Amino acid sequence: MRFYLSTLAGHRRGVLVLLGWSLLEGIPAFFGGRFVGTAVDKGFAAGDPLAGVLWLLAFAALAVVGALGQRQVFARLGSVVEPMRDALVARVVNGVLNDPSHRRTPDASAVAMITRHVEVVRDATAGVLVQARALLVTTLAALIGVATTASALIWLVVLPIVAALVLFGLMLPSLAKRQRDAVMADEHTAEASGSVLTGLRDVAACDAAAEAYGDVAKQIDLQAEATITVAWANSLRATVIALGGFAPIALLVAFAPPLVASGQLTTGAVLAAVVYLTNSVNPALHGLARTTSTVVMRLMVALKRLQEAAPRTDRDMGTETPSNGEFVLRDVTFGWSPDAEPVVRGLSLDLRPGDHLAVVGPSGIGKSTMASLLTGLMAPDNGSVLFGGAPVDRVTPTVRHHAIALIPQETYLFTGTVRENLTLLAPWATDEDLVEAVKKVGAKPLLDRIGGLDAALGHGGEGLSAGEAQLLAVARVYVTSAGVVILDEATSHLDPAAEARVERAFAERNGILVVIAHRLSSALRANRVLVMDGGRPLLGTHEHLLKTSPLYGQLMLAWDPTHREETPLPKR
Amino acid sequence: MAKPGDALLFSVVRRDHRPWLLMLNAAVATTGGLLLPAALADAVDMALSGKFVLFTVVWLLLLAATEIVGDAIGIVLAASTTSRATAWLRRKLSGKLLDLGHPSPFAAGDAVSRVTGDCGNAGGIAVTLITLVVTAVSSAGAVVALALLDWRLAAVFVLSVPLAGLLIRTHMRMTADDVLTYQEVSGEVSARLLDSVSGLRTIASAGIADRETDRVLEPLPRLAAAGAGMWRTQAKMMWRAGLLLPAVEIAVLTAAGFGVMEGRLSTGDVLAALGYSALGMGIVGQMTQLTVLERTRASASRIVEVLDTEAPERPAPQRSNGVIELRGVSVGEALRDVDLMIPAGTFAAIVGSSGAGKSTLAAVLGGLSAVDAGEVTGHDSVGYAFERPALLGTTIGRSIGYGTDADEVQVRDAAVAAQVHDVLIRLPQGYETPVADAPLSGGEAQRIGLARAIIRDPDVLVLDDAMASLDTVTEAKVDKALTTALLGRTRVVVTHRAATAARADLVVWLENGRVRGTATHQELWTNADYRAVFTGGE
Repeated sequence: MRFYLSTLAGHRRGVLVLLGWSLLEGIPAFFGGRFVGTAVDKGFAAGDPLAGVLWLLAFAALAVVGALGQRQVFARLGSVVEPMRDALVARVVNGVLNDPSHRRTPDASAVAMITRHVEVVRDATAGVLVQARALLVTTLAALIGVATTASALIWLVVLPIVAALVLFGLMLPSLAKRQRDAVMADEHTAEASGSVLTGLRDVAACDAAAEAYGDVAKQIDLQAEATITVAWANSLRATVIALGGFAPIALLVAFAPPLVASGQLTTGAVLAAVVYLTNSVNPALHGLARTTSTVVMRLMVALKRLQEAAPRTDRDMGTETPSNGEFVLRDVTFGWSPDAEPVVRGLSLDLRPGDHLAVVGPSGIGKSTMASLLTGLMAPDNGSVLFGGAPVDRVTPTVRHHAIALIPQETYLFTGTVRENLTLLAPWATDEDLVEAVKKVGAKPLLDRIGGLDAALGHGGEGLSAGEAQLLAVARVYVTSAGVVILDEATSHLDPAAEARVERAFAERNGILVVIAHRLSSALRANRVLVMDGGRPLLGTHEHLLKTSPLYGQLMLAWDPTHREETPLPKR
Repeated sequence: MAKPGDALLFSVVRRDHRPWLLMLNAAVATTGGLLLPAALADAVDMALSGKFVLFTVVWLLLLAATEIVGDAIGIVLAASTTSRATAWLRRKLSGKLLDLGHPSPFAAGDAVSRVTGDCGNAGGIAVTLITLVVTAVSSAGAVVALALLDWRLAAVFVLSVPLAGLLIRTHMRMTADDVLTYQEVSGEVSARLLDSVSGLRTIASAGIADRETDRVLEPLPRLAAAGAGMWRTQAKMMWRAGLLLPAVEIAVLTAAGFGVMEGRLSTGDVLAALGYSALGMGIVGQMTQLTVLERTRASASRIVEVLDTEAPERPAPQRSNGVIELRGVSVGEALRDVDLMIPAGTFAAIVGSSGAGKSTLAAVLGGLSAVDAGEVTGHDSVGYAFERPALLGTTIGRSIGYGTDADEVQVRDAAVAAQVHDVLIRLPQGYETPVADAPLSGGEAQRIGLARAIIRDPDVLVLDDAMASLDTVTEAKVDKALTTALLGRTRVVVTHRAATAARADLVVWLENGRVRGTATHQELWTNADYRAVFTGGE
C-alpha cells in the first residue's frame, strides 16, 4: 500500500493536472442548484419566462463545461494510471525474480494471477481517480453551494454527511477483510476445480469421483458463503451512506418552514438547496456506496496479494572477498523447517581446483540442496560453507556469481536469439567463444540444425526437446570463466554418451566440478563420490566406497551396469 | 430466439424462492422510489408555505426509509440468489464432468472456465432479469408520474430522450485496436515472466535478477501507449454521455418552468419533474444489462453442452481368474482391433515409439477409459501410476490415500514402499503439507503416484511410464519394493527403457495402434524395427 501511494505521489504533477480539470467538472455542481433556483424564483415564478429560460441555458452551458472537464480528466488518466501500472509491474517482476526462497516457484497460474491483479490495480486506480475524485469535487462544490444559498441550514446538511462518511471510513478495514476472504474463496474454488478437472484421469484411476466432488463442492459452498458475507457488509455500508445522504433533505424541509415564514430563506434558496442535495450530493454518495468502495476494496485486496506474490526482500549483501578458489565445508546441517528431518546432516568436505565430485543418492533426498548451499543461495542451519575462507553466502555477490556457476535441471531459455541466450552469463563473449563452447559440449549439430547463433528461440525454448534445451544451458555456462561449476542433474535429458561428453568437457577445465548425478555412471567419471541417502553422508573415491560402504555397493549392484541402457529419454 | 441454455436458466430461477422475494422487495422499493419525488415536492411546497405539516414530513421519511431498507435487503438478496444459483450450477457441472470421467470430451482448461466463469455468469440470471424489469418499470413509472404532473413534461421527456440518445450513439464506436494491442502486450509480458520464473534457480545463482527484470519488462512502453489510447477513447465516450442527462433535464425543466408560470405546477413540482427525469433516464444506464443477459444465455448454453453430453458406457470389467483379455478392442485412432491376453501374475511391458497407443492400451486394460469397440475382461481392482501424476487431495498424505479411507499408518507404509517416505518427512509440514505448497520434483511426484497405486493393494498394477523421471538408483529400489509389497500380482508397465522390457515376462510391442508382436524382450530384440524403438526412431 505504501509503495502504491508513493508511486502515485511520484506522479504528483499528473494527479494535480487531473485535479485541476476536476475543478472545471465541479462547476455545474457548484452553480447548478443556484441557477435552477433562480430560474424559478426570478424567472418562471416571477412571470418572466425569458429570464427563466436564460438561467436554464446558463445551467446548460455549465453542464457542457463540466462534461468538458470530465473529458479532460479521462484523457489524462493515461498519464497517471499507465506509469503507475508500469512501476507496479516492474516492482512485482523484480520481487518475483529476486525472491530468495526459490522453493515454491510460481507456476503459470501464479503468473496469470499476478497479471490479473495488476489489471485490477490499474482499473481500480482509474476508478478511484474518476469516481472518488468526482465524489469529492461534487460534494464539496454542492455543499459550498448550499452554504452560499441557504447558509442558515448548512450545519443540518453537513453534519449527517460527515457522520456517515466517518462511519463508512471506520467500516472500511473490516469490509476489506471480508472482500479479501471472498477473493481467496474465489481462488480456492478455481484451484480445487482446476486440479480435479486437469486430473480427471487420476480421479478415475483412484476411483475417487466422490472424494473429488466433495473437495470441489466444499470450496464452491465456502465461496458462496463468503460472497453472501460480503453482501451483508455491503448492505450495511449502503444503508449508512443512504441515511447520510437523505437525512439532510429531511432535516432541511423539517426546519425550513419557520425560516421561510420569517423571511430568512427565499423560495429560490430552498429550491437550490434541495437541488444541490438531490442532484449532486446524493448521487455522489450513492456512487461511493455502490462502486467506489467496492473498487477501493478490490484495490486493497489486489495490492495485498501482489505484495505476497512478490515480497520485498532487502537482502543484506555480503562484502567478503574469498582468498582462493577452494571450498571448505564443516559439519553442515540444513533442513526445510525446524520440525522437518534435516536434508543435509553433518557434512564435511574440502574441494580444490581440479576436484571432480559426484553426488549420488535417490532423487529428492536433498542433492539439490547441496547445490544451493555451495552457490550461497541458502545458508546452512549449522556448520559452515567457506569459499576461499569466507562464508559463501557472505561473499560479495558479483565475485561469487563470477566464480561459481550452477546449471540446474530446469533450464532457463527465453525468447530471443540463440546468441542472446548463450551470452546471458558472459555478455563479453565473442561468436568464436560461443561456437567453441558449443562444440566442446557437443551441441554443434544442434546449433547447425536450428540455424546458428542468429536463430530465434520462442518462449521457454519452444520447439527444442528437453535435452536440446539442456545442451544450450550447459554451453552457456561453459562460455563463462567460472572456476566452480555445479551440474545439478543438468544433463538428465541427455543420453549417457552426450552426458559423458558434457562432464568431460567441464572436467578438463581444471576448476572444481560438482556433478549432482542423475545416473550412477557419473560417479565412475568423478575422482570423489558423495553418497547421500538420508543419513550421514558418505565421502570417498568410487573404489574406496565400494570396499568400505555396503550401501554404495548395493546401489552399484542395483544399478547393474551390464544392463546399462543406451536409450535416450523420449523427447518432449 | 431460444437458446439451448434457456431451459436451464429457467430452472435456475425456479429452483429457489429467493428470486420471488427479490422481486417482491424490488416492487416495494421501486414503488417507494417512484413516490419519493412527489413526496419531496410536497415537502418543499410545505417548507415554502412556512407551515410545518407533520403528515407530509412523516410520509417523506416513510418513503425514503422504504427505499433505503429495500435497497439494503436487495443487496443481500441479490448476492445470495446469485451465489446460491452459481454454487448449484457449479456443483451440478463438476458432478457431471466427473461422471464423464476420463478421457473427458472437454479440455481441462475449457472445463475449468465453464465451472468458474460460465457458472458465475449464468448464476446471475435472476438478478439480471429482475434488474431489467425493475428498471423498465421504474422508467415507465417515471414517465407516467411526469404525465400526472403535466402531460407536457412527459411529452418533452419522451421526445428528448431519443434525440439525446442519437447524439451519443453516433460516435460510440470503441477503437478495438488499442484493446487488442493491450491484451497482446500484456500476454507477452506474462509469457516472459513465466520464462524467467521457470529459470529462477539459474537467475538466482548467477545474480542476474535485475537484468532479467528488464528483459521481462521490455514490452512495457507499448503497453503504456495502448493503455493511454484506451483512456482517450473512453474520454470521448464520457464526454457524450455526460451531456445526455443535463440536456434532457434542461428540456424538462424549461417545460416545468412554463408550467409554474401558468400556475399548473407548484415550485416543488419543478423538483419532482427533475427527480422523475433522472429516474426515467435510469434505463439508459442499464442498457448494458442487455449485453449481460446475452452473455448469461451464452454461458448457460456452454453449461448445457456439458450437461447434455452422454457419459460413455463403461461396463465393469468382468472377473476372469486373473487373466486380462482384450478381444477386438478399438479406441478412436489410437488403438485398432487389439487382441491380447495377459496371464495372471505376469510382469508385462508395453513398448512402442511415441504415439503407438501405449497409454491408451494401458488405460483400456484396467478399465480406466471406455472402448469404442471390442471387449475387455480383467480385474476389478486395478492400481494406476502415471508419468505425470496429478496429485489430488488436500494434503500430501491425503493425496496418497486419495479415494480410499486409508489411515496414516497405511499411507506411511505405501510411501515407504514407493521410496518417497524419506522425502515427505523432510517437507515443511511432513505428510500434512498442502499439496500446493510442497516443492516436489517430477521424480518425487511420480513416487507419490506409485504410493497412491500401492495403497489400494490392487490385483493388477498398471504403470504408465511411471518411473521415467527416477534416477537409476531410485528406480531399482522402487522396483524391488514393488515386487515385495505386491508379490505375485499382475503388473503392466509402459516403458521406454530397454532394461525394464528385458526384465518383463512378456513384452507387448505396439505400432500405430496395433499389436506388432507379443513375446519376450530377447525374442523381439532380433527384429531391427523393435530395436529401433529403443535406440531412437524419433
